[in-house]
Amino acid sequence: MSIVEVSHLAKRFGQTQAVDDVSFEVGQGEIFGLLGPNGAGKTTTIRMMLDIFRPDAGTVRILGSALDEPKKQRIGYMPEERGLYKDQKLEPTLIYLATLKGMAEAAARERLPGWLKRLDLWEHRSKKVQALSKGMQQKAQLIATLLHEPDLIIVDEPFAGLDPVNTRLIEQIFEEQRHAGKCILMSTHQMHQVEALCDRIVLINAGRTVLYGPVGDVKRRFAGNAVVLEGQGDFAGLPGVLETRKENGSWHLALERGVDPQALFRALAAREGVKLERFALEEPSLDDIFVQVVQEGAAAPEGSHA
Amino acid sequence: MHNLWLVAKNEYRRTVLRKAFLIATLSIPAAILVLVGLVLVIERSGQDNGPVGYVDDAGVMDESLQATLPDPEERVPIYAYPDKEAALAALQRGEVQAFFVLSEGYPASLATELYTLEGSLGGRAWEQFDDLVRASLVAGYPEEVQQRLLDGSEVTVYDVGSGRQFSESGIANIILPIVAAAFFFIATMIASGYMLEAVAREKENRTLEVLVTSVTPVQLIAGKTVGLLGAVLTQLAVYAAALVVGIAVASPFVPELQQVVVPWGFLGMVVLLFFPAYLLFAAIMVTIGASVTEMEQGQQVAGMLNLLFMAPLFVLPLLLENSTHPLIVGMSLFPITSFLTLSLRWGLGSVPVWQVALGWGLLAASAVAMVWVAARIFRAGMLVYGQPLSAKAAWAALRG
Repeated sequence: MSIVEVSHLAKRFGQTQAVDDVSFEVGQGEIFGLLGPNGAGKTTTIRMMLDIFRPDAGTVRILGSALDEPKKQRIGYMPEERGLYKDQKLEPTLIYLATLKGMAEAAARERLPGWLKRLDLWEHRSKKVQALSKGMQQKAQLIATLLHEPDLIIVDEPFAGLDPVNTRLIEQIFEEQRHAGKCILMSTHQMHQVEALCDRIVLINAGRTVLYGPVGDVKRRFAGNAVVLEGQGDFAGLPGVLETRKENGSWHLALERGVDPQALFRALAAREGVKLERFALEEPSLDDIFVQVVQEGAAAPEGSHA
Repeated sequence: MHNLWLVAKNEYRRTVLRKAFLIATLSIPAAILVLVGLVLVIERSGQDNGPVGYVDDAGVMDESLQATLPDPEERVPIYAYPDKEAALAALQRGEVQAFFVLSEGYPASLATELYTLEGSLGGRAWEQFDDLVRASLVAGYPEEVQQRLLDGSEVTVYDVGSGRQFSESGIANIILPIVAAAFFFIATMIASGYMLEAVAREKENRTLEVLVTSVTPVQLIAGKTVGLLGAVLTQLAVYAAALVVGIAVASPFVPELQQVVVPWGFLGMVVLLFFPAYLLFAAIMVTIGASVTEMEQGQQVAGMLNLLFMAPLFVLPLLLENSTHPLIVGMSLFPITSFLTLSLRWGLGSVPVWQVALGWGLLAASAVAMVWVAARIFRAGMLVYGQPLSAKAAWAALRG
């Protein structure tokens, strides 16, 4: 069952077409990555999904039909622009936000301690929000998103500002939510988190969908567009190479679409002073794919669209 | 609807627990307490309630009438002396704190002399001697005439223009409506100021994006409006209670306060004006709050607007002198100034009914229109972080 159905969504602000014909679906028990460079239209898409902005065209169906007030209570949303009442104490703030989501105050009071303890905020529950560190506020915001046990969780850059320990903890919580059948839509720039967590992704660039599908499929589609090299010599300035980087003693080269790795191999072999010890096709990371698709600013390979 | 009340409850709780609110709420009762305390202190320490004497060269005084004077438990003994020498001797012995001499021609000339040792006489002693003189002067008349002469006339003023009537008994009844109008107006300003702060704070704290996925913008604004109205009504109730208690405690010592009559008609009109005025001011503040980036900016803009709201005070001399001046009538009808102008005019005299009705109608209509504007601007401005809402964007929002 699709929890989210976004169909041909479009939104224009003045002369800027922020979102242009974006479509995707997210199913139950799925972690879905909404990806794209800054200004691609991700936040605008989320805001249209949540009825904060009205779309110029297209439709959004949440939990089977158009979004209405009762359904809003089944959504947990953590926006990129974080916000809690800085001059209020943490515990009453979280209870207030949960009750606005339709949760009884008694139930919120019963569930909150578990979350506070798990996210190491129990000792800080009586402090004003402004007295908490940025990371703590981030975790508090996550509690506000999850406390009312939503069916659809929408998180915008959920790992920003978190240390590795807390990042691991949040990943674990998302995994648990997925196993509990919750649907998570995650917007982030951190591709390793997407690779680790997401079942499927949509990549938006300049308001348009440029990639859409299961993470594994997307990576396979782009295999051959990256090679890994080991050896000595100058690997810079090779024709048909978008990006060259060195990692753990190996060189990773992202190729332009259509560039034949064999042609690159021949070019390297012909280059003076180059001694190749290893040349292999690399399954690209999402990071590579992201960079390639965005830099090219071109459409994805055939069949990559929904 | 449930969420509206949740927002209202939260806003009310946040507001009434703020230090600034508590100080503002308790400052008026504290001021009244200090005032009443001063009255009591002056009454107790500043007055000599010892006996006074008199020499009646005019032959008008009847010493036995002392028994008929009001408040027997607080009576100052009044002694008669046959001549000035005897009274002077009594004064020097300390038998009396002062004595009066009513000259022979007193009934015609009202010439009276007062002799004291320290140049002053307690107010109560003076009043009671005066009461005894009056009672003696009217003693020859039938009892019902005596009472009428002592009480004076009860004047009721009928204003033909407005069809209103009001009693002219005591300065307190003139001041009280002005005080009440000022309270209501200040309360309106404070509450709408809180509204500005509440909206700007939501924007500053970046909480709006989360809130509007739980409540509609209308529920959010309406909830805040109701919550802050509750807070300000609490404040007014505390002020009113303090005023009632203050008047009750002070009235035995301040005769003017004993004549206070609750101006129900006036209060009814002020309440009638209060709700649309509050809605109008609050909607203006929502618009400002949603358009600015930080609360301080909003407060600067609101500060300038407040001067406009208070404009009737700047023309108070004209209002007192000629309340039908075209400028005053205009201000009675202009929504921004009508609340204060109509309240002051009503408290100080009269206002034609048509002006009250038209003023209220224009105020209510502009409040409704401003709420519509505020909702549009709020929706457009709530997610514009770090920069003010441009005039172009605001215009686009209003055009839908």
